[in-house]
Amino acid sequence: MLRLAPTDEQTTMHLAVSLNIASGQPLAFSDLASFAKQAEAAGLDMIILDDSAPDSAGSKSPFEATTLLAALATVTSRIGLVAAASTVAHQPYNLARRFASLDIISHGRAGWHATMAQAPRDAANFSRPDGFSAADFRRRSEEYIGIVQGLWHGWDADALLFDKAGGRFHDPDKMHLLDHKGAFFSVRGPLNVARSPQDTPVLVLSGLSEADLDIAARTADVILLDEVKDAKASHDDLKRRVAACGRDPDAVKLLQNVGADIAADTLEASFRSQSCDGFNIAILPSAIDGFVGQVLPDLQRRGLVRQDGTTLRSHLGLAGGDR
Amino acid sequence: MTRQMKLGAFLWATGHHIAAWRHPKAHVTAGIDIDHYIRLARTAEAAKFDMVFCEDAAGLREANVGIASQTSRSIGFEPISLLSALAVRTSRIGLVSTASTSYNEPYGLARTFLSLDQLSGGRAGWNLVTSASPIEAANFGATGLKPHADRYERAREFAEVVTGLWQGGSFHGHDGQSFSVRDPLDLPRSPQGAPVMVQAGASDVGRDLAARTADVVFTAAQTFEEAKAFYHDLKGRMAAYGREPDDIKIMPGVAPVVAATEAEAQEKHEELQELIPDDVGVALLSSYLSISDLWRYPIDGPMPELPETEGMKSRQALVVEQSRRDGLSIRQLARHFAGARGHWRIVGTPAQVADELQARFEGGGADGFNIMPSYFPGELDAFCDLVVPELQRRGLFRREYHGSTLREHLGLKQPA
Repeated sequence: MLRLAPTDEQTTMHLAVSLNIASGQPLAFSDLASFAKQAEAAGLDMIILDDSAPDSAGSKSPFEATTLLAALATVTSRIGLVAAASTVAHQPYNLARRFASLDIISHGRAGWHATMAQAPRDAANFSRPDGFSAADFRRRSEEYIGIVQGLWHGWDADALLFDKAGGRFHDPDKMHLLDHKGAFFSVRGPLNVARSPQDTPVLVLSGLSEADLDIAARTADVILLDEVKDAKASHDDLKRRVAACGRDPDAVKLLQNVGADIAADTLEASFRSQSCDGFNIAILPSAIDGFVGQVLPDLQRRGLVRQDGTTLRSHLGLAGGDR
Repeated sequence: MTRQMKLGAFLWATGHHIAAWRHPKAHVTAGIDIDHYIRLARTAEAAKFDMVFCEDAAGLREANVGIASQTSRSIGFEPISLLSALAVRTSRIGLVSTASTSYNEPYGLARTFLSLDQLSGGRAGWNLVTSASPIEAANFGATGLKPHADRYERAREFAEVVTGLWQGGSFHGHDGQSFSVRDPLDLPRSPQGAPVMVQAGASDVGRDLAARTADVVFTAAQTFEEAKAFYHDLKGRMAAYGREPDDIKIMPGVAPVVAATEAEAQEKHEELQELIPDDVGVALLSSYLSISDLWRYPIDGPMPELPETEGMKSRQALVVEQSRRDGLSIRQLARHFAGARGHWRIVGTPAQVADELQARFEGGGADGFNIMPSYFPGELDAFCDLVVPELQRRGLFRREYHGSTLREHLGLKQPA
């Protein structure tokens, strides 16, 4: 039996807000920065920045998500910052490198949001007019995620020596080649970015179909789940799959996607019934004020949100380097 | 208005000198310290530089891990994320990054640089390069390097798609040899019309591509004669593409070592040269001369007799010849090369450095310079404190920014 009795840790819910910058009114950087600061002050774990609209119409935002993340990182100090980036739009080496760099810029607060759902717009604009079959896309995504996470482990945390007198900048034994050769990619490594202060960027997965669940259980740090009829059963099933991969069930946080109009009562009830580790609240730019003015204070009053430490992994109660 | 020079601050790791990181005043953790880069960008902005510039490689710089571990160049920030962070912590200075056409797709690259342009209010630039390094190729599943002409054909198509995408709604898709793109970009038009296009290719096809598409060209000309020949050649190629000579700003790289007196400057230079580890120096010299077994010879002895080989080009043969004439040991020659990396170096007082820059700027060799400080932050500070005021006093460089975008700083036309 999976042990899911409430512990001290579990009395704090993890709270992410997905700012749907791709849809709705375009926001200026100053508006986004002010929102990020308010969310940080309210104790949210992380902001998730999307990068394309679900209807394949393209984004309405003037900013691409990873560049926006870098900019927001310099005007905030505690909140986690997660950007969506497509596995079709980037080569795995380039994506791993961008996020490793973002993780250092943010002092260990960065995450990559990958979706297992194929976006037709990407294939059409990235020289893949025919796209991928569902099976190929899944196999390719799994290989891709493995490469990115492998590259994030290329430098040991104590690899950099900075020994001016001895002329040793780094310890060559603490730098590791990946030497990956797979069906879709071959990547030698290592990355040319140092190890992150939180070990590796956080991997957030969404858009999971039944066939993706085991991939997610093996690789994800956070899984975003759409609302289903029996949230509790779906939660327990995923945690069981995580354990079956030899991972601590608590090493993967399951956040339920909810809309901004949800009442704090509903969140609290759902959380207390242990059907999730927290929530990912999707809000449109136009709803920022209402969210910050009403929902956040209500949750804070109930003592349900809290940030621990300074890295995103520490907010989420995730250990670093345990993979 | 009198013509004024353009200045770029080339930010690279702990400094451009191979042993920079070992210097007592070098900021050794540069590659993991974003605040260090914010400080450098603000220093360059306070000195009214046109731009900061970042190089890029999608892989290690040196395959030999023993050699690599004695330099600071194996780790650093990925430049687009770095410049995006700098964009909101600076307000006037241009932000230019290198990115390769070999391992990117034009839609993604155009979109990312346009986003940087939006974040910075029109201060972004892209330095187009093609990748020739086998170390990079191994990170992208390539089985072998593409021949030079192939790489440039891909680059030409890449640049055409990016330029088209930056024109906004008038883009109607592209279906070509290497790339297919259906939609226009989903970002608003650039505040400066389009990000600035920079190139650095020195080969014949590289020069043609630059003459056709570049706004700025970086070069590595050691001598005045080389600089003038390149300048004349490139500007001469532009008419064929319906462009005027002034539509491209040619900015050679220069590594100044400046101090109040010539003796101090020389001493500063020697101090850095002394810090080059022997095996690093010999490895770099070996690869420059394409000699694999140079390490077998006594380091304090003369250069060995070398057979004429394929990789041994005439210029390199001259170098060996001269070293023998001057009685240089392998160690001395190695340090000479490792330190300068084939770039133009000026060691001297502020007036001497300004004299040299002025001569090339007024003598048909440059529209400006890409400054490559030997170590950070000290030598960028020295250039800003000592040389920039001298250039301003001579009317050769701006005292204030007049525009807000990189195109305005550079005096470039806004694209249609």
